[in-house]
Amino acid sequence: MENISPLIKYFIQQGVPLDTVILLLMLPIVVTLIAFFRQVIGIKAFGIYTPAIVTFAFLAVPQLRYGVLIFIVVILVGMLLRFALKGLRILYLPRVAITLSIIALSILFLLSFGGAMQRTGLAAVSIFPILIMITIVEKFVAAQIEKGNKAALILAVETLVISLVGYYLASWPALIKGIVAFPWLILIAIPINIFLGKWDGLRLNEYFRFREVLKNLK
Amino acid sequence: MFEFVICLEIGACFLVIIKNMFEIFKNGKKLLGMNARNLDYIRPYNRKKAKKLADDKILSKRMLKKGGIPVPKLLAKIRTVEELENFDWFSLPSTFALKPNRGYGGGGIMVVYGRKKNNRKILVDDESEMPLPVWIKADGSKVTVEDIKSHILNILDGAFSLANMPDIAFFEERLTLLKLFKPYAYKGIPDIRVIVFNHTPVMAMLRLPTKESGGKANLQQGGIGVGIDLASGVTTTAVLGKGKIIDYVPGTRMLLSGIRIPYWKDILLLAVKAQEVSGMGFLGADVAIDRERGPVFLEINARPGLAIQVANLSGLKERLERIKGLKIKTAVRGVRVGRDLFGGEVEEEVEEISGRKVIGTMEKVKLIGKNAVEIEIEAKIDTGAGFTSIDLELARKLGFNEVVDAIEHENVEYEKIKSLNKSERINIFKKYPDVCDTAIIHSSHGTTYRPMVRISMNMDGVEINARVTIIDRSHLQYSIIVGKRNLGKFLIDVNK
Repeated sequence: MENISPLIKYFIQQGVPLDTVILLLMLPIVVTLIAFFRQVIGIKAFGIYTPAIVTFAFLAVPQLRYGVLIFIVVILVGMLLRFALKGLRILYLPRVAITLSIIALSILFLLSFGGAMQRTGLAAVSIFPILIMITIVEKFVAAQIEKGNKAALILAVETLVISLVGYYLASWPALIKGIVAFPWLILIAIPINIFLGKWDGLRLNEYFRFREVLKNLK
Repeated sequence: MFEFVICLEIGACFLVIIKNMFEIFKNGKKLLGMNARNLDYIRPYNRKKAKKLADDKILSKRMLKKGGIPVPKLLAKIRTVEELENFDWFSLPSTFALKPNRGYGGGGIMVVYGRKKNNRKILVDDESEMPLPVWIKADGSKVTVEDIKSHILNILDGAFSLANMPDIAFFEERLTLLKLFKPYAYKGIPDIRVIVFNHTPVMAMLRLPTKESGGKANLQQGGIGVGIDLASGVTTTAVLGKGKIIDYVPGTRMLLSGIRIPYWKDILLLAVKAQEVSGMGFLGADVAIDRERGPVFLEINARPGLAIQVANLSGLKERLERIKGLKIKTAVRGVRVGRDLFGGEVEEEVEEISGRKVIGTMEKVKLIGKNAVEIEIEAKIDTGAGFTSIDLELARKLGFNEVVDAIEHENVEYEKIKSLNKSERINIFKKYPDVCDTAIIHSSHGTTYRPMVRISMNMDGVEINARVTIIDRSHLQYSIIVGKRNLGKFLIDVNK
């Protein structure tokens, strides 16, 4: 790193690890990206927390594909359990607790299965990204109850898409270099979000949703 | 040179694309999107307190009732698990709707359509008490007290409320289906969503429950939305779910356009009144029509969905902006403004404004002749004619035998009377008291001299005292034409 801002140097001198500094400075970029996806493109995902935390979980996984694999397994098992637990007729929190327990066990089997298949990268995934991805199933179950299976699945896919875009953005070397050199640039996120917060135009997906209406307006 | 032409073509292509894009973006300004709905309408016009009221169904029901708006009866409410345990299940009628107080998007609503007759076998198992009642759902499946209990527990737990807040469950009277809607609706009750802004109805749609929506009328749940012309209350275009344009009820040949909603004006009036009671500036009002009670107000919605634009194939934003800032004082005035601005041209409206009836070029007319003889007959409306004329035969039937005989007897052909002066001409028919006047008529068949008699005509409910000429029309299709002199109270629509 040839070009390091004095501010970053100061953080490092005080003992803050460089990775932590970069991740914290990336956060405004990732959440602004999520806000942009919601307000301008119309991709909803599970709010702002879930895609942001999944993005950072992906960043913390040594290989992205294992992160995606864990995410998909969590959502699939969550969906299957919805059908399995339907007949049981139990309340919301116990139901989520059962779902979480079974997902935890499934992931354990998945990791050991990966080991058995000589995929040591999978078992080497640290526990925190795994835990993060398991707990997002609560959002998924809540969406299933409120909006139905199909809508919940769409939201999960949207979350995955946003998180992947966030991942590629946050691990883009040029961006990292830029932030290290000019950390103040991060503050641009605030005016951008003020603009997004006042944006009252149609979202991109609404042009698609209202295509029949648009055809009729002359 | 060749490359240059290709460049030009590519350039032209781009221009077309850009022009189309521009068109789409320009038209997009007429549509209300999520961002604009939340930022420009819900935020500034719906105060937090009022929104809370709309989200609390029991409270809003009470408020609306106080405001003189008919609402479905509240049968019972369950606030705690304790109340649930002590609930008397026999107090419920055979049909009802169970709803979460703070539910949204139609989630968590359970509707039962009938009670199952008591099964003897259960009696044997259950010695101590009467067997608990069992109800039947829209799809024919059974609903036991256990099912209802677990559903209510989920409601109390907040599974269907905004932000999973603990909630209250309540039982409500189920409305009865209007016969008109029977072939269109699967099980449930259709309702009418009216977007109201600034005391004015802005857009409306009929929402029909389908098999997929499980008897619920919400589009989010897979119901059908049918656009309604605001002026006439007649349905136009339809959408299934959130975006599929359809013409018929799926799986049937029931056309969705052209349904005339009964009580249309009352429904719009109810919607505007509900807005006034609620204190919100922008809302979706849901009104159902009960077979016995007529229009019944279902609920107010602080965040109305946007699919209504697809059902009507037109934009909300454009309409809302036209209403913004207008000073509208009464609900009646608001309804009139909404119907005038956003409805199609409709004859009733024309009739209301002009005070005249709209008739076609052919119209049924009731003639009242001598001695109160009544004849109903098809008449041709002829704005090219001055007087109304009737055929000899028709005149006879109306009791003017003498006059008709006189015409045949006196031989009043124009050629013969041309030389006579006015008083001499009139003298020909002087001895017949039924003849009130005579007239020289120039028509495409030549010029004729005709006697006139007084009759009464009733056309489209309007009574006219007319002086009509009598002439031989036996070679013509209509034995009566109605002329200009008797059409002052009508407007003629050639398409009718």
